[in-house]
Amino acid sequence: MDTFAKLQILSGAARYDVSCASSGSKREAPSCGTGNTSSSGICHSWADDGRCISLLKILLSNDCIYDCAYCVNRSTNPMERASFTAREVIEITLDFYRRNYIEGLFLSSAVMQSPDYTMESMVRVAEALRTEEQFGGYIHLKIIPGCSSELVRKAGLYADRISVNIELPSQASLQRLAPQKHKNAILEPMALIGREISTSLVERKVSRRAPQFAPAGQSTQMIIGASPENDFQILRLSQGLYKKMNLKRVYYSAYVPVTADNRLPVLASPPLLREHRLYQADWLLRFYGFSAEEILSEDAPHLDESFDPKTAWALRHPEFFPVEINRADFATLLRVPGIGVLSAKRIIAARRFSLITYEGMKKIGVVLKRAKYFITCSGRSFEKPDQPPALIRQQLLLSENREALVSAPSKQLVLPGFFA
Amino acid sequence: MNQYLYDGTADGLLSAIAWILEEEPDPEKVMLRERMDTLFEEGFTIGTDATLAESLFFRLKQFAPDAAHTLYSFMLAEKEGMETSLLHYVSLAFKHGDQVKGYLTHPAVRDIVYIAKKAGRELHRMKGLLRFEKLRDGAYLAKMAPDYNIIHPLADYFSRRLRAQHWFIYDVKRRTAVRWNNGSLQFGTIEQFTTPAFSEDEKKVQALWQAFFKTIAIPERKNPRLQKSNMPMKYWKYLVEKQGE
Repeated sequence: MDTFAKLQILSGAARYDVSCASSGSKREAPSCGTGNTSSSGICHSWADDGRCISLLKILLSNDCIYDCAYCVNRSTNPMERASFTAREVIEITLDFYRRNYIEGLFLSSAVMQSPDYTMESMVRVAEALRTEEQFGGYIHLKIIPGCSSELVRKAGLYADRISVNIELPSQASLQRLAPQKHKNAILEPMALIGREISTSLVERKVSRRAPQFAPAGQSTQMIIGASPENDFQILRLSQGLYKKMNLKRVYYSAYVPVTADNRLPVLASPPLLREHRLYQADWLLRFYGFSAEEILSEDAPHLDESFDPKTAWALRHPEFFPVEINRADFATLLRVPGIGVLSAKRIIAARRFSLITYEGMKKIGVVLKRAKYFITCSGRSFEKPDQPPALIRQQLLLSENREALVSAPSKQLVLPGFFA
Repeated sequence: MNQYLYDGTADGLLSAIAWILEEEPDPEKVMLRERMDTLFEEGFTIGTDATLAESLFFRLKQFAPDAAHTLYSFMLAEKEGMETSLLHYVSLAFKHGDQVKGYLTHPAVRDIVYIAKKAGRELHRMKGLLRFEKLRDGAYLAKMAPDYNIIHPLADYFSRRLRAQHWFIYDVKRRTAVRWNNGSLQFGTIEQFTTPAFSEDEKKVQALWQAFFKTIAIPERKNPRLQKSNMPMKYWKYLVEKQGE
């Protein structure tokens, strides 16, 4: 099979991996080599589904010995199988990089023969890129659960980011849909990576020559809607991963039916809106100082479909509002629906010069569509003060629907690689 | 209100601002425009002094690096008719330091920051969207037609990234070009451009990229609107993956 045909098969098989971030690492180009990394990350193109392309995202092989129900590469799925040689991956990566098509390589693989064999072949590609080709661009390596910790360590030395996919949000679902994968085989390398990253950070404070270990951190991914877990369980899992394992990102991927299996739900279309709401809640966990228990509870374990999670929280907590724009601190501003990290920073910066008025809010670029129900500027409110939450709810829904009629906003998620 | 004129060059603009900041007690009450040499034009013309312009920029860089960066990005936009706003912005920057960027309720600050942001955004975008093609002699060539004059910082960026490579970037709109070879950058203008011959494997690599671009999208999630809002169509002309669309 020629490289062209292989690329078609092995990029098609890799497209369900969500992560495409190229940020968080600062690597200088070797003097006689190719490539560096940019800490903000750079998107090089946007595919027909609107997702950004920053890395050459491919599998080393799709020839899998596992039979996970949800996976397009499962061993019982009758499809064409292919494997790249290390050389082929290296050539394509460099050819693409030199033409500025990509930021680097994202290499994953189906499990060939054994986890160790697969992981070793993947690490060999990264090693050759770094040492033989003097490649300084971004490398993201997937860790194959069940491989030896020695290989995990080696992967972290060559890659900028490494990730272990958690796949499904609970042990029970994993057992049902991916019986050959075990929870411990996933969590152990995660914990190991977390430890190695913090050790390397400490060592690099002592000496700048100490080797970097996965400088862009580790991430993971889980499938949403293929198993019965509710949003509360999922968010608590993510919260645990951020706090205990020190993960940079948890990615959620709406389940797209790729194979027929009676263990899987039948969906008319992928649950994109649910995925979108989960990402919004994830942002609240990481950048807005919310906890999973504030966003959801055992009694209300599902994210509201019609409102973003912060608006939903605000409607449940009328006692918190209105927030006075000219006095509230950063953390309080962040709790106002429609005010994000950027707007909150701008408000605080602008307050140094003068009191902020309603017009002033517009001038500094704060979107008031949702915020106006929850704030005052020097005591003045924009809407009638003290409206009951039920009324605000109605008005918000009305304004959303009016816009939906005019422009039909896309419910699809943008994957913002810059914040990864 | 005092009115001043300058010769329309970037150096002239900066040296006029430096002069006004030095001589005028209240620069925020002063107007600055490009000299048009019309019959009834009013105002005192300030001469151009490149060293004065440079020293202004370096003083600002020392005092308020963020504000200097905004000034630099604004100059990339080559915007006409905003000289007075720029003067007021620089004056405020020397007063408030980097905090000036938060003064968005001031019209001059808002206008300058807005334009600078747009230019900065296009620079970031082109870092991703520029496409090199391999020539027969082994060098690489990229063509682009950006809205703003970003070739200098862009070349600087690629000189750190594609260090060991011999390459050219050509701005089709402004007929300017830059060449990187053996560790040095050379800028120039090109009057007549003829596309050189490509290397033999160029078409093959482009076909690989086009195939990758097609298969990496998930068909069930097709979303052309999102694609266009992230990657406006004005950039498609030089994108290998968007040829023939």
